[in-house]
Amino acid sequence: MNDHVLQSNQLTKKFKGAFALDKVNLSIRKGSIYGFIGQNGAGKSTLIRIAAGLAFPTDGHIELFGAGGELELVQARKRIGSIIENPALFPNMTAAENLEANRILRGIPGKECIGRTLALVGLQDTGRKKAKNFSLGMKQRLGLGIALLSDPEFLILDEPTNGLDPMGVVEMRELLVRLNRERGITILISSHILSEVYLLATHYGIIHHGRLLEQLTAQELKGKCQQYIHIKSDNPDKASAVIQNGLKTSDFEVMPDGSIKLYGKIERPGEISALLVSSGLMLEQFMPMGEDLESYFTKRIGGISHV
Amino acid sequence: MYNLIRVELFKLRKDKAFRMLMLLISALAIIFPLFSYFDNKTHGFPLVPGIAFLFDSIGINSFFIKFGTAILAGFFIANEYSTGVMKTIVSSGNSRGRLFMAKLIGFAAGAMAISVAFPVISTIEATLLAGFGQPAVDATSVFGQLPPGVPVAFILRAFGLTLLFSASFAVISALFSTLLTESGKTIGLTIIFFMMIDTILSMLGSYFPVFETIYDYSVFKLIGQIGEPVLEVGTVQILLVPLLTIAVAGLLGAIVFRRKEIK
Repeated sequence: MNDHVLQSNQLTKKFKGAFALDKVNLSIRKGSIYGFIGQNGAGKSTLIRIAAGLAFPTDGHIELFGAGGELELVQARKRIGSIIENPALFPNMTAAENLEANRILRGIPGKECIGRTLALVGLQDTGRKKAKNFSLGMKQRLGLGIALLSDPEFLILDEPTNGLDPMGVVEMRELLVRLNRERGITILISSHILSEVYLLATHYGIIHHGRLLEQLTAQELKGKCQQYIHIKSDNPDKASAVIQNGLKTSDFEVMPDGSIKLYGKIERPGEISALLVSSGLMLEQFMPMGEDLESYFTKRIGGISHV
Repeated sequence: MYNLIRVELFKLRKDKAFRMLMLLISALAIIFPLFSYFDNKTHGFPLVPGIAFLFDSIGINSFFIKFGTAILAGFFIANEYSTGVMKTIVSSGNSRGRLFMAKLIGFAAGAMAISVAFPVISTIEATLLAGFGQPAVDATSVFGQLPPGVPVAFILRAFGLTLLFSASFAVISALFSTLLTESGKTIGLTIIFFMMIDTILSMLGSYFPVFETIYDYSVFKLIGQIGEPVLEVGTVQILLVPLLTIAVAGLLGAIVFRRKEIK
């Protein structure tokens, strides 16, 4: 039995000679929350659009739930719910009417799913208000409702927190985690807001300039995120010299604001702080820290200069 | 397929442009018999009965068919690309061929409703005002003169052809909207196309006879035959041309839609 919901094999897409996707081999395991990260224009939406059947590959192919033929892919898409780029709504219909149109389109029997879905996304009190008069956050939630209407096994969300207020972002995150844990829905979430993805994802795929640079689990990411000590003192130059001569390491980085990220010889932070203080430096900040997804991503794509 | 057609009809019922068009055409259909009634009564002319209104309104109905389908195509089909709804439709797990077919059926149903609104409403109203069948040989209403003796067969044929031709114009408009995917462009270019095609084909026909033949066998010319008491062309021709137009334009539209990347 295939335990991948989406796999791409040498997937390539060219637009006017330029590679939007370049031989991408991606695989998303059933039950995972896959954080698909990359800058704007990196190729995230292109891959998602191919998976959803909106665009066609120049070369290579995809499999959904193990199905790869043209007709099989169409059938497999019945098991998918998606929001791609923006929530797609009928502007002159109410939330319930939007769901009704999608219910008929998907051939879902019974109208109970409409009230249930409206309650799930918190739009049960919108009444006769037309979707065109919704706030961006409400539109986003209705889009999610449409994606969830058919009880999909695989949810594709392209920038789902766009337009949501801080509470809305938290609610969306909690809802997605709940859907994943309670219903076992596999989620592909594409975003350039890395802090959001970091709080959700169990797996990551990093894409840059159409190339899938790496796929890793959250555990692997944790292992790869470098630990360091963040040091801020009254004299960055002197602090650098003390680290270099006293600790005998050049494995550190002076940041533009004068703070130092010390990567080497950080096993005994107490000794390091004592050394710096005894050298006459006044420490404003001294914190052992770990890199997050953002810094790992930046490093993985070759630093800020490659952004 | 049944669900896909159902959803298109559901959307049609909710479509603001469709409702507005129906409302506008219905309003015109109500106003014209009223004008005629009061005008004739004031000047002492015989009243124009329902059958006369039916006859003349079928004749001028091509205007509503052409403009109505062009406008509806822009709002009902092309708008789905700009709102992004087409993304949800295409990714719903239905083949593109079936999706396009269902859309054509839903859209053609809308175009047919628009095409019969004017003759039906104006005929009913004129009948209420002046009766249905009294001949008004010397009537001088804006709709002209009633021919002596209008058989039931004419009424059935006229309505049948109106529905058939409105479907063929709907399929052409659908092809434009699939190619252009923007409502403004679709409406503008389709209207220009429908307005200019007669002139262009006639003009080309004066230099190259093949274009004259094409024009003679096109829905653009034959639509003028719907309101004629006696057809100037054969029954096969008047049935086959719109049917072939539906088949060819529908096939072209389906090919375009199957290969289209949805933005």
